[in-house]
Amino acid sequence: MIRIEDLTYTYRNRDIPVLKNISLSLPKGSMTILTGPSGSGKTTLCRAMAGILSHVYTGKATGTITIAGRDIMAYKGIEELSHDVSMVFDDADAQLIFTTVGEEVMTSLENRGLLRMDAENELTRLLDLLEIATLKERAPYTLSGGQKQKAAIAATLALDSAVLILDEATSELDAEARNVVFSILRQLADLGRTIVLVEHMIDEAAAFADACLLIEDGQITASGTPAEVSRRIQEKLPPITKRSGARGGELFIEAQDLVHCYGDHRAVDGVNFTLRSGEIVAIVGENGSGKTTLVKHFNGLLKPTEGTLRIKGSVCNGQSISTLSRHTGLVFQNPDTMLFEDTVHKEIAFGLKNIGTDVHCIGSVLAEVGLAGREDTNPRHLSRGERQRLALACVIAMDQEVFVLDEPTTGLDLAESLQIMEILMRLADEGHGIVMITHNPGLATAFADRVMKMSNGRFISSQEV
Amino acid sequence: MQEIMQYIPGDGIFHRVHPFTKLLFTIIIVLLAVLTSDLILLAVLLLVVFLAAWAAGLGRGLTEQIPLLLVLGLMLVLFTVLTMHGGEVIFTLIPSGIPFIGGALPVTTGALLFGTILSLRFAVMLFAFQLLVVSTKPGELVTTLRQLKMPIDYTLMFLIALRFIPTLQREGIRISEAQLARGYSPGDGMMGKIRGLRPVILPLILNSLGKADTLGLTIDMRGYRRGRAQTEKIVFGSLDAIVILSAVALAAVIAGVQIL
Repeated sequence: MIRIEDLTYTYRNRDIPVLKNISLSLPKGSMTILTGPSGSGKTTLCRAMAGILSHVYTGKATGTITIAGRDIMAYKGIEELSHDVSMVFDDADAQLIFTTVGEEVMTSLENRGLLRMDAENELTRLLDLLEIATLKERAPYTLSGGQKQKAAIAATLALDSAVLILDEATSELDAEARNVVFSILRQLADLGRTIVLVEHMIDEAAAFADACLLIEDGQITASGTPAEVSRRIQEKLPPITKRSGARGGELFIEAQDLVHCYGDHRAVDGVNFTLRSGEIVAIVGENGSGKTTLVKHFNGLLKPTEGTLRIKGSVCNGQSISTLSRHTGLVFQNPDTMLFEDTVHKEIAFGLKNIGTDVHCIGSVLAEVGLAGREDTNPRHLSRGERQRLALACVIAMDQEVFVLDEPTTGLDLAESLQIMEILMRLADEGHGIVMITHNPGLATAFADRVMKMSNGRFISSQEV
Repeated sequence: MQEIMQYIPGDGIFHRVHPFTKLLFTIIIVLLAVLTSDLILLAVLLLVVFLAAWAAGLGRGLTEQIPLLLVLGLMLVLFTVLTMHGGEVIFTLIPSGIPFIGGALPVTTGALLFGTILSLRFAVMLFAFQLLVVSTKPGELVTTLRQLKMPIDYTLMFLIALRFIPTLQREGIRISEAQLARGYSPGDGMMGKIRGLRPVILPLILNSLGKADTLGLTIDMRGYRRGRAQTEKIVFGSLDAIVILSAVALAAVIAGVQIL
């Protein structure tokens, strides 16, 4: 269905090609995983197959791409191509253009030329399929990251094209929702659609896909069944070092019967939680189960509606963020919500100056997160994984007792995720308390001392690892 | 949090009339506000928009914007007073007793009047437009614009602007929370506050620009610019006639007063 021969591509104003001599052939009705480190060229390859490189961007390309035997250059433009190829991008928010989920999917159906009645039926079917029927009248800004991704996938499935490309389109879904999406894709492949899926967590998708390609530095370095490629990746990973420091020292955070209401909705509904020095606690749970709402109490961004919160023994229910943030640092999910300076050095200095601390530690903090010597780099020029580590550096430089991380590995590959975990283990060994929210159950059990699962605002299980 | 410029579900007069009627009503009001520079007529227009909002059960949504509008109005008046002179001098911002610069920055009746007219005009336009937006589902508004043969690119632009206003509001809050967690404190005083906005505004703008590429590709790849065929005819009811006729009557009255 898709055939690429000897494709080399260089973006405009760049010297080094992002894709080098790529050749591949994806048969009709197949589901293929593309995996590899961030910045290796996966997204560019997806954009090549969708015709974006040939018809929208003005970089330098050699080689040929054909869709069902037709040269991609023979299409008049991206609009004609969109009849055969559709793509879901990683930023779900930017792909929701209409003001309700229903309209978003409906417009795709109408553009496909369905009559009103058929379109209504298909709309209901698609929303049910992705389990978002209750979101039909909701506006994009009221949705969680995972819900937005489901809506973007539904709107793209509505086009019913022969080729469907998903570029990290499930990164913010929880494990259960990812499985739902993967099984839908498998069914589509069985119906003769050709599916390409960019994924970091290939083990989860392995059972559904036919093949997997590993892309490193712009080249395909391994191909085979998902299990084979997964083994290749595992072999190259550095061995996981064990923690040495003491766990369970001083009591840092103690929450008793904590409740937080947004209007009538009890987002956190009677939670008991403790965190001690040297401990790593992972909080897992579905989208919307109250994880982020809970941790925002630890640095004072939210105040409990009911219950008590003690930090280092003293009750701090009403205390402001400027007081609590001296004890607790919080790293948000997306590093781009905080990076704004034009050099790495200034970025870290911002937080230090705010609390009146000396900026001499910046060099050593950068070394700690693997960004030594990058003081003068513009944060926006760093890769996603590097930006995530910089965001972490900005917070750990402030040297609070507790660090809270909301989804620290979203959008990172396995090697980058392990880098983050190593940093967290070192911090715990130094006596800090770590709380991390994660959708990755594998990371949680491998690195946390305790894994706690949230559902509907309560902890439903707590497991010592 | 109150989202600005978003559709509020309801069952008032403005919810029941056709989007085209509301569009026409808004255009007439805005045109009148631009064409007249009579203080009293502008005040009457503002009153009409408020009465219409009140009759439509949307008064609260509009009154919530009054503090913002007062600030904007004051700034408009201040700017005109500083940059424009005409009519009699009421007093000078710097008393004449001070050597060298004494008597500078006069406040004149002409500037005050002009500033007030500008503010009122602005208020009328904003409220009229808001009345349209809060009472009309964006999808219906877009369909109507398509029926009126508005080019698809402009329609999409309008839709995307409406769609992303609350998203930017929320993103702004998220960014501000992330900076608060780094000990950021919004500055003191007017200049301090403006400088203090940098850590919030910069990521907001940079992230929005980052979305533009994906947004553009999505529009093309989902075939939105082909536009869907609009075969349905606009059907008016008696309520539509009433709303349009009142707007036209208002226009006639204002035109009459202007000529006399």
